[in-house]
Amino acid sequence: MRKNAKWSLLLQAVCLFLAFLMLFPILYAVSVSFMEQKAVLSSPPHFLPPKVTFENYMTALTRTTLGRYMINSAIVALVCSFSRVILATMTSFAFAFMEFKGKRVLFLLALSTMMIPPDVLIVSNFATISRIGLVNTYAGICSVFLVSASNIFMLRQHFLTFSRSLQEAAYIDGCGNLRFFFSILLPTSRPVITTVFLSSFVSVWNQYVWPMLVTNRNELRTIQVGITMLKDRESSVFGPVMAGVVIALVPTVLLFVIFQKNIVAGMMSGAVKE
Amino acid sequence: MKRKLWKKMIEPYLWLLPAFVLFAVFTFIPFVQTIYKSFFIVDTLGQLRRFVGLENYTYILGDQVFVKAIVNTLWYVVLTVPISKILGTVLAFLANRRRTTSFIYETAFSVPMAMASSVTAMIFQLLYVPSLGFINGFFGLDIQWLNDPKIAMISIAVIQIWLSTGYAFIFMLSAVRSVPDDVVESARMDGAGPVRMLLRIYLPLTTPTMFYLIITDLSYSMMMMSFVSVLTGGGPQNATVTIMYYIFQQISATGNYTNANPAAMIAFLMTFAATLLGFFWEKKGVHYQ
Repeated sequence: MRKNAKWSLLLQAVCLFLAFLMLFPILYAVSVSFMEQKAVLSSPPHFLPPKVTFENYMTALTRTTLGRYMINSAIVALVCSFSRVILATMTSFAFAFMEFKGKRVLFLLALSTMMIPPDVLIVSNFATISRIGLVNTYAGICSVFLVSASNIFMLRQHFLTFSRSLQEAAYIDGCGNLRFFFSILLPTSRPVITTVFLSSFVSVWNQYVWPMLVTNRNELRTIQVGITMLKDRESSVFGPVMAGVVIALVPTVLLFVIFQKNIVAGMMSGAVKE
Repeated sequence: MKRKLWKKMIEPYLWLLPAFVLFAVFTFIPFVQTIYKSFFIVDTLGQLRRFVGLENYTYILGDQVFVKAIVNTLWYVVLTVPISKILGTVLAFLANRRRTTSFIYETAFSVPMAMASSVTAMIFQLLYVPSLGFINGFFGLDIQWLNDPKIAMISIAVIQIWLSTGYAFIFMLSAVRSVPDDVVESARMDGAGPVRMLLRIYLPLTTPTMFYLIITDLSYSMMMMSFVSVLTGGGPQNATVTIMYYIFQQISATGNYTNANPAAMIAFLMTFAATLLGFFWEKKGVHYQ
């Protein structure tokens, strides 16, 4: 028994050390964001700031348009997450509760969108967006993130477990589809809908390539694109940039740490075999 | 009565309509268009000019930068996919049994999942600074992490490995933990040691998850361009140009859809081939319970 306890302690120590290594890049970014300019690139290198300063955050927030980038990202991530939730619940409601011609084919068609990497489509999508004049608009940024097949798959799986007898009872009581959807199905599915919403939020917030492609006006950049513009490759002003990095990663990392179970379940939903 | 029946018949399709309109506009139509247009000379607005058959393909495959991009992309896939899966699996085995401090290291191992590629790239850029950067400074090295053509791609791969190890960990952890207790118990009764347990019980029973991870990561890393765009711009000497970055340069700099469409198709075909290989391997070696 004592040997077991020792072994467990040792293993935990190893894991905690590995955890530190894993977190190192993030911890270092946080640390640099509180460092004075001269301490950032120094010999020997500092892991902790010799003197803590808030100057970098002041610079990042007042001298750059970081605030605007954050607002843009929040707008895009919220719009897309709401849209994904609404469309996924509607679609999976039909797939789980209704019988109609072509149901199987349409469901497979929806799933097939997961087989085509979205990046392959950016060429055509960019041409479409620029032709209809949506470059440099929120609509243009959001357009390709408004629906996700993995969310549909996940919600359908969940709806299929919904009690048949409860559903039948509701219909016998004269409850129509709309009422059933809004006053019974949605409220009882709140946990899984939260999962879809949170995993969508994290994934859209972190998007980089598409938002970069469809915006070239500074006021419309999202945080992920804007952050890379704070510094050109040659300069060495890392303090304010790392302050920006920390501000940019706090929302998703915080959401992830708090709602880890939900978000992980959302990301895993695509992996579940039927 | 007749109207009601008709309503009942079309109602399901109305529920599906919004999502399928979006699928059509942003997935199905562009996909078909990309295939179709890849056989044409296309102007900067994306309009068809002239049918040229496979000439666009032979043209870009003769373009040294594009060939380099294919080689770089494959090299990147080979570097990132296996290592991140191995590391994720090792961490999952270490964290398998729940202990007092589990919640700390489980969260720490999986946090990279929540990180955006551009933010992560900015952090590693700082770590990689050649003179006085943390990595060179701490280990007393003098390596041009992002400026040496031989090393730049490896440095970028390290960033991806960091990001996807967290992802692999969280999936493998749940796979390892869902191995049934009675299977583990009976193997232990038969006197199987830790190595045997790993090879005979855990690895075979977690292959479906591993399979999923490899398939998704293959198509994901095949499409990488974010780190290149933030860190190297494809340099030095095109050592880090990937297929997607090549495509991005074609459309954003010059609006050259004539090259971008066939390049996108080649990227898709490579991903598709990798996925097929994956499924082939699944048939042979994956155990579903």
